[in-house]
Amino acid sequence: MSYIDIQNINFAYHPKRPILQNLSLSIDKGQWIAILGHNGSGKSTLAKAIIGLLEPDFGTIDIDGMTLSPTTVYEIRKKIGIVFQNPDNQFVGVTVRDDIAFGMENLGVPQAEMLEKIDFYAEKVGMKAFLDKEPAELSGGQKQRVAIAGILAMQMDAIIFDEATSMLDPTARRELMDYIRELHNEGLTIIMITHDIEEALWAQRLVIIKDGTVFRQGTREELLKEPVTFIEAGLELPVGLQISNALKQMNALSLELEEHLWESSLKK
Amino acid sequence: MKNVIIGQYIPGSSFFYHIDPRTKIIAVVVLMVATFLLETIWQVLIGFGIALILIIAGRVPIRKIVKGLKPLYVLLLFTLVFQIAFNRVGTIVLDATMQISPFSILFMIAATIIWRLLASFKKFSLLLFFAYLVGLFFIMKNLAFSPLWTTWQLTIYDQGLIMSGFVIIRLLIIITLSTVLTLTTKPTELTQGLESLLRPLKAIGLNSEDFALIISISLRYIPTILDEANKIMNAQASRGADFAEGRLKDKVVQVISLLVPMFIIAFKRSEELADAMESRNFVPGKPRTRIHDLKFNYRDLITTVITVLCLAGSILVKVL
Ligand SMILES: Nc1ncnc2c1ncn2[C@@H]1O[C@H](COP(=O)(O)OP(=O)(O)OP(=O)(O)O)[C@@H](O)[C@H]1O
Ligand SMILES: [Mg+2]
Repeated sequence: MSYIDIQNINFAYHPKRPILQNLSLSIDKGQWIAILGHNGSGKSTLAKAIIGLLEPDFGTIDIDGMTLSPTTVYEIRKKIGIVFQNPDNQFVGVTVRDDIAFGMENLGVPQAEMLEKIDFYAEKVGMKAFLDKEPAELSGGQKQRVAIAGILAMQMDAIIFDEATSMLDPTARRELMDYIRELHNEGLTIIMITHDIEEALWAQRLVIIKDGTVFRQGTREELLKEPVTFIEAGLELPVGLQISNALKQMNALSLELEEHLWESSLKK
Repeated sequence: MKNVIIGQYIPGSSFFYHIDPRTKIIAVVVLMVATFLLETIWQVLIGFGIALILIIAGRVPIRKIVKGLKPLYVLLLFTLVFQIAFNRVGTIVLDATMQISPFSILFMIAATIIWRLLASFKKFSLLLFFAYLVGLFFIMKNLAFSPLWTTWQLTIYDQGLIMSGFVIIRLLIIITLSTVLTLTTKPTELTQGLESLLRPLKAIGLNSEDFALIISISLRYIPTILDEANKIMNAQASRGADFAEGRLKDKVVQVISLLVPMFIIAFKRSEELADAMESRNFVPGKPRTRIHDLKFNYRDLITTVITVLCLAGSILVKVL
């Protein structure tokens, strides 16, 4: 049985406008998957359903053998953390230290243990020197790392990143991606929500969402063989793949060139 | 607009910084009550002396306290004018005939212009203002020439001066006390102190923990929201809006055009924040542990003793 098992969920904010429709998806423990989809395709809605911020109108979500329900939701939130898009809107504490502590305080972790963990995980995400800083003094990338430290300190199994890099500059984005890879290597399950194909290509498995349901899924190699899938799902191809695609249509793509373009898209 | 840090807290390590915030809050409230028990100018002067000794001993920068008084200049001045104009008790210390004529009006306008021109010397603003008042007095008393339009009598009684001194010094003590509190206590500590003090109110249904969390989140978001307001203002200024000038009606329109997006963003923000908090296992009203601990130490004892002595002293002088 997979770690996260989503079966046939439906969800609508307004009865007349369904957002998620018969969506099923399984995610294995320790996997890094990317959930891709155009704006408004329902990715954030899916993420909120997984951690029980929204209750599906229909269908079930099983996590680590537990079915998500109002009674299990608190257990599930001890296993899965989420980093949202806007770094400012998830920084609860007055200082970095308070923010990393927030989740642990909610779980009733004893004070001595909290202080130890704050130091350890702040060090881990490279924010040890900033523990007493206020959010106004931090960059977006630093705030996102604080959010990660807060989640790690709660010893989670999985982290959902809901477009967590989209408000960062290219350097900070790259750093965060490198850092996420490290977390994955340490055994965390990573669910990366994005509409950026290049970012999604870091994952082992890609799931493309369109109109609130799984449109196509597979390994990145499988999906890269049919770039047209991305276009059908309303996504924008990375430049390398766009060129490769155009050349293919003109029958002008040599095997060498194709390989080269692929490599450049895959090179991480 | 970056790095707006809320509160007047300035980092330091003197005695006052190491007192438990609860002790500090209670001591300040008690000392304020004690101040209001004082009845004569000598008593408040002694009180003020004690306050000064304490802040010097605690190495609180006096400059910062003077700055804390700024918003109250008008109130202090009003007290002075009110007492001088209406207090008719005691002996007369000054009885002068004031004269108004076209000349004296011209002089007064000139004095006002000079005063405003010198206003750029912010350091001396208070001094300049008093010089200006003295100048007006001098003009009205001596520089009228003819033709006189009207005259009036300025009569100052000693009790008027003493009473205004009393009221002003009492106000000074109170401001000093509260400024020392906010200068030496982090906003987080203040909220935590309040939370702890308000805990008994749980009996009447007020959850002090949630209350403290609300305050600390508001504190945390004020800089962000100011930053946002600044961004929106810049965006609107780049499209031709002018926040500094324009008629009142234009200004109202501009403020509304600032408030509407601010509200929309604030609502969206609070919704996202609520999601973030919930996803990090926050459940309103559920007991939480805290990383900051409040602990009493010997300094709290000293503070309590001094506070009690001050209160006892002021009760004593009232009763005797
Ligand atoms: N709180 C809400 N109330 C009503 N409708 C909503 C709400 N949140 C989202 N929607 C709508 O649901 C749809 C899916 O939103 P969702 O945020 O899940 O999309 P998304 O795939 O995350 O998009 P994006 O890439 O822009 O983040 C959108 O059409 C959106 O307008
Ligand atoms: Mg989204």
